Amino acid sequence: MDWLFNLLPHLLNGVSLGLLFALIALGFMLIVGVMEVINLAHGSLFALGAYVAITLMGWKMSYAMAFLLAPLLVGAFGMLLELCLRRTYGKDPLYGLLLTFGAALVIEELIRLVWGSNEKQLIVPEQFSGAMLVGGLLYSKYRVFASVAAIGMILLLWLFLEKTPYGAMIKAGAHDSEMVRALGINLPRLRLAVFALGTALAAVAGIVLAPIWGVRPHMGVDAVVPAFLIIVLGGVGSFWGAVLAGIMVGIVVGLTGAYASEWSLLSMYLLLIALVTFRARGLFGKKTALEN
Amino acid sequence: MQTKRRKLLQMLAAGTACYGPWTVNRAWAQAGQKKPLVIGLTMDASGQYGASGTDERLGAMLAIREFNDKGGVLGRRIEALHMDTETTPATGSRVAERMITRNEAAFLIGAVHSGVANAISQVAQKYGCVFFNTNSSSPTEAGRDCHRVKFVWDGNGTNFAHAIVKNAMRASGRNWLLLTNDYVWGHSTSKATRQLVEANGGKIVDELMVPQNTRDFTSYLLKIQQIKPNVIAAAVGGDDIKALRQQVVQTKLDKSFAWINNQQDWPDVYGLGPDAVFGVFGTTWYYRLDLPGVKEFVAKYQKTYPGIQIAVPGNVFYNGYVATRELLRSVEEAGSTNNLAVIRKLEGRKMGAVDRMQHYDAWIDPATHQVQQTIYMASYNDKPVEKDDIFKIQAQVAPQDVVDQAAPGACKLESYEATPSYEQ
Repeated sequence: MDWLFNLLPHLLNGVSLGLLFALIALGFMLIVGVMEVINLAHGSLFALGAYVAITLMGWKMSYAMAFLLAPLLVGAFGMLLELCLRRTYGKDPLYGLLLTFGAALVIEELIRLVWGSNEKQLIVPEQFSGAMLVGGLLYSKYRVFASVAAIGMILLLWLFLEKTPYGAMIKAGAHDSEMVRALGINLPRLRLAVFALGTALAAVAGIVLAPIWGVRPHMGVDAVVPAFLIIVLGGVGSFWGAVLAGIMVGIVVGLTGAYASEWSLLSMYLLLIALVTFRARGLFGKKTALEN
Repeated sequence: MQTKRRKLLQMLAAGTACYGPWTVNRAWAQAGQKKPLVIGLTMDASGQYGASGTDERLGAMLAIREFNDKGGVLGRRIEALHMDTETTPATGSRVAERMITRNEAAFLIGAVHSGVANAISQVAQKYGCVFFNTNSSSPTEAGRDCHRVKFVWDGNGTNFAHAIVKNAMRASGRNWLLLTNDYVWGHSTSKATRQLVEANGGKIVDELMVPQNTRDFTSYLLKIQQIKPNVIAAAVGGDDIKALRQQVVQTKLDKSFAWINNQQDWPDVYGLGPDAVFGVFGTTWYYRLDLPGVKEFVAKYQKTYPGIQIAVPGNVFYNGYVATRELLRSVEEAGSTNNLAVIRKLEGRKMGAVDRMQHYDAWIDPATHQVQQTIYMASYNDKPVEKDDIFKIQAQVAPQDVVDQAAPGACKLESYEATPSYEQ
C-alpha cells in the first residue's frame, strides 16, 4: 500500500494542474467553436490579464477587484481584436490564423513596452499564501485556491452556456452560424460577445496562474500550446471534453514529473498522439458526415 | 489617382536614393573615414534566457559606447548589430550565419544558453569569426565543444561546484538530490556536482530532470518531500529557476531543506523579492563588492541606463561588459581585426583583479579558452544596506582552487591552420 500512499499526492496534484489547464483551454475552445478561428493571440491575452491585474493592484485595488476588473478590460481589448478579425470571416482560415499570430506578437511587444521585459509578481492574498500540510506533505495553499477558482469558473461557464438564452445562442452559433443569422440573431454582435467572453476567460486564467508560473511577456506561449492540445484531445467544441482532456493532461504531466521527470513536458504530446491514433476526433468530438 | 501614386512612388524612390543607406557609404568616402567595425550581438531577447540576454546586451553596448567615445578601434567606429537568438540553437546558427555572411560582422559576442552558444560557435569556427560566449556556463563550452575561435567568459558549472560542494556537505549533510535542467548546461553541471559529492563521501539519492520551460514544479516539490534529501542541488536556469524559486517559497520548502543553486544569474533573481533568495549559490560578481572601481562602475551603469528596471548591474551585465571591453582592447593591441592575430592576443591573456573588479587576477586558459576567474559563494542577505542589496557574499575562491581539471583533456582546439583566416 505504500506505493499507493506515495502515488496519491501526485494524482491529486495532477487533477489540480489539469483543472488549471482546462481553464486556459475553455476560452480558447469557445472562440474556435463560434468563430472557427484558432486564436493564436489567446496566450498573449492570457498574459495581458496578469499584467492588467498587477497594474490594478498597484493602484491599491484588492485582489478580488483586480480579479473581476482585469478580465473585463481584457475582454474589451478582445472586442477590438474581433473587429479586426471580421474581414477574415468566410475566407481561407489562414487569414484569421495569420491575423491572430500577428496580434500575439503585437500584444507581447506592447507588454514589453508598457511593463518592461523583466519578471513581475502578482501578489497572492495573505489568506492564500504559504503552505498547508496534506498527508504529511507541504502543499501550496494558493494551488488549492487556484483549483477551486478553476472549478468555480468551469461551473459558471457551464451554467451560462446551458441555462441562459445567451448560452443557447452561442451553442447554436457554434453549430451553424448561418442558421443563427437566418433566425434573426445579430451574428456580428454574438461573435463580438463570444470573443470578449473567450478573451476574458483567458485573462482569468492568466490571473489565476500568474503567482504559480510567474509573469513575463512571453508567458502566453506556455499557455496557448497546452490549450490547443487540450481542445484537440477533448474534441473540438466539446465543453466537458476540454475539461476531461485538461485533467488527463494534468495527471499525465504530474505523474511523469514525479516518476519520469525528463518526460513530463513531452508526456502531454505523447498522450495526444496515443489518443488521436485511436480516436482522431478526440474524446467527445462529433463524427463528421464522412464517418457516418 | 494612378498618376499621383506613381509620382509618390517616384518621390519615395528618389528620397531613398538620397537619404538611404548609401548616404553612410558616401559619408565615409567624403570624410576619408574607415568602414565601421560591425560587432554582432548574438543575444537572446526572448525565450528562457530573454531577460539575461537583454542584460548582457546592455553590458556589451556600454563597452562599445566607451570605445566609440574614444574614437573607436583602429580608427574605425564600432557598430553593434543585435539579432534575437530566441534561446533557440537553430536561431543562434541562423543569426550567426547571417551576421557573418551578410552583415560582415567582424566578431560575434553573446550567449547564455549553452545549446545556443555551441550552435553559434560551430558557425563561427566554419568562417573563422572570433566568438565570445559571454554568459553560458556549461562545462562543455570549454570542454568537448571548445573551438579555436570561441572564448568562454563565465565561470562554469564545475568551477561553481568546486566552490560550493565541500562546504555545503559539511554544513548540511551527505544525501544530495540533483534537480537538473534537461539540456547540456544542466547535465554537465549536475555531472560535475555528482562527481564532487561522491568524491567527498556523499551520496546522490536521486536526480530529477526538469524539462526546459517547466512552469509548474509542484510534482517535483512533492517528490522531494517524499525522498527527504539533506541538500538539493539545483542546476536550473533562466525563467525556470524564477518559477522554481517562487514555488519553493510558496510551499515554505526553503526552510525545510538546504538548497544550492550552482549559479545564480542576477536577472533571474532581481525583482522576485527577498524571500525568493534562499540557499547558497555561486556568482562571478556582485555590485556591492568592496573593491576599487565597483562603485564607479555602478554609477556609470545608472547614468547610462537611467530608469532601467534592473537598477544595479549584475553578473550577466558585467560579463557582457568586460568581455566586449577585452575583445576591443585585444583588437587594438593586435593592430588588426584579423581573427588569428586577435586569437593570439587572447590566448593566455592576463587580466588584473583591479581592472576586472574581482578579488583575484584572471587569465584565459590557452588550452580551453575559458576565463579563469574568482568565484563567489553567496546567500540571502539578511542585513541589506539598501533595497537591491539581496546577496551576502560569503566567500571568494581563487581561480586556481576551482579549476575545471577535466576541461583541457576534453577540449580539442582546432589548429591555427585548420581555422580559416577571417578579417572584416
